[in-house]
Amino acid sequence: MVRLYTDDLSIGYGERLIVKDLSVQIPDQQITTIIGPNGCGKSTLLKAITRIISHQSGSIVLDGKSVTKENTKQLAKKMAILPQTPESAAGLTVGELVSYGRFPYQTGFGRLTTKDYEVIDWALQVTGTLDFKYFPVDALSGGQRQRVWIAMALAQETEIIFLDEPTTYLDMAHQLEVLELLQKLNKEEKRTIVMVLHDLNQAARFADNIIALKAGQIVKAGSCEEVISKEVLRDVFQIDAEIGVDPRTKKPMCITYNLLKGE
Amino acid sequence: MIPKRVIKKQRVFVVILSVLILTTAIISAGIGYSSLSFDRLIPTLFGQGTFKEEFVLFSIRLPRIIITLLAGMALALSGAILQGITRNDLADPGIIGINSGAGVAISLFFLYSPIEPGSFVYMLPFMAFIGALLTAFFIYILSYNRKAGLQPVRLVLVGIGFSMALSGLMIVIISSTEREKVDFISKWLAGNIWGSDWPFILALLPWLVVLIPFTLYKANKLNILGLSQPVAIGVGMSLEKERIVLLLAAVALAASAVSVTGGIAFIGLMAPHIAKAIVGPRHQLFVPVAILIGGWLLLFADTIGRNVVEPNGIPAGIMVALIGAPYFMYLLLKK
Repeated sequence: MVRLYTDDLSIGYGERLIVKDLSVQIPDQQITTIIGPNGCGKSTLLKAITRIISHQSGSIVLDGKSVTKENTKQLAKKMAILPQTPESAAGLTVGELVSYGRFPYQTGFGRLTTKDYEVIDWALQVTGTLDFKYFPVDALSGGQRQRVWIAMALAQETEIIFLDEPTTYLDMAHQLEVLELLQKLNKEEKRTIVMVLHDLNQAARFADNIIALKAGQIVKAGSCEEVISKEVLRDVFQIDAEIGVDPRTKKPMCITYNLLKGE
Repeated sequence: MIPKRVIKKQRVFVVILSVLILTTAIISAGIGYSSLSFDRLIPTLFGQGTFKEEFVLFSIRLPRIIITLLAGMALALSGAILQGITRNDLADPGIIGINSGAGVAISLFFLYSPIEPGSFVYMLPFMAFIGALLTAFFIYILSYNRKAGLQPVRLVLVGIGFSMALSGLMIVIISSTEREKVDFISKWLAGNIWGSDWPFILALLPWLVVLIPFTLYKANKLNILGLSQPVAIGVGMSLEKERIVLLLAAVALAASAVSVTGGIAFIGLMAPHIAKAIVGPRHQLFVPVAILIGGWLLLFADTIGRNVVEPNGIPAGIMVALIGAPYFMYLLLKK
């Protein structure tokens, strides 16, 4: 079943189109990653789907309704977005920042209910940041801060979560920590997760589906095995890659690669 | 989840500032061109004073104290809102031209309308509001990008441009009118508290009574607006709607204040900034502190300005600018 899809979607700043006539379906309750070279429109696509930027033509449909026509607060109960490296929230505590994720459920003065406090604690708990609840956000390390932002998105209690390069600026261990958390949320809580990743092997390892973009258009979308192939990688990244199988996860992986020469 | 010590600190500062305001008000009531000794203040307040003492206190000093206090509060609140919606610490109704817009409207109204003394007072905030609103509308349109939304830095720059252009327009208006009327406008420009009488208080008070609770009601939204734009949209904030409603509130506050006090800048810049430095960025906590600081600053500036040069004194607007301009430079340099 597909709740979210785009139809002939075109997005652009001014005259220049960044994404052209893109139609894609986001499979429900699965992890989808979007890969592609710099400037291919990955982030732009994510921002348009989450109504952060507007699109020029085509449509984005969630549960049979156009995303641009839906009430933005109602939409925030269905999908959450973690933008690329949000600026630090100067002077706020971790708990406060996560509490902003409850905004779509609040009315009036925005006083938090018992339910809100429970959800906030739960979000802190699953992201392993409950110990920092009363710490200032500024005092945390990059990896901790990223998990706090994820906790804020979780506090929105949405079935769909979008993340724009959630592993940037993190070291290897912290990258895995974030990705494993997302995997756990997908497996245990059946959340649909859509994220932009740069690392092909991480994309293959954690995703059920991959969308490979080039110049604002889909080169290949499908299972990891379909997308992480010699031909697709040559077309998308202009690299000559050797594809093997991860001995632990049995997923395809890029063992070695070179830039394509000549032509 | 707000640390308890921050809440406690805020309470302490609200008390300290209230005491400071009261003390300044008492001093302000006791000093001036006509003498009213301090030991006569309380008896006069309770109707035991001579005719002269009562006249000085009730018709001159007290209205002026209340007006400056209220106007300072309104300007501080306006600045706090503007800084919140633009995410720019340099936003101030004076700096970004809203005050000048109000000024032009007031001058035109003053020069070209048949003045009936009775309704003039109450019409002024209204005219000022229209002038300020038109200005804010144009600043908003010019700093709005269809793709990227409102651009905070551009808003301040466009605003400064408007502020200069409108001040220029005021000079054109002044130079083309009769001498007697010019006097009023030039005093207004310098921020001379001219509307120091009870009707002016009645014209200003309702704005504050409505808009202070309104802003505190919106505190949570202002907090979220302080995060980045994508985050605010992501949690379901109707960005443009909230910004426009809050901008209207800020414009109304600034316009009603400057319509009686004249062009006073920098209060809206300094008060929220100092308040944030003391109690942190949460609007529900710093806005009350900013309001008190703003009220006190203008009262303090006017009390000094009124007394340093006899008999007319230095306009409050200039006194505030003497403190505020260096502060503005300091903020600019720090950025």
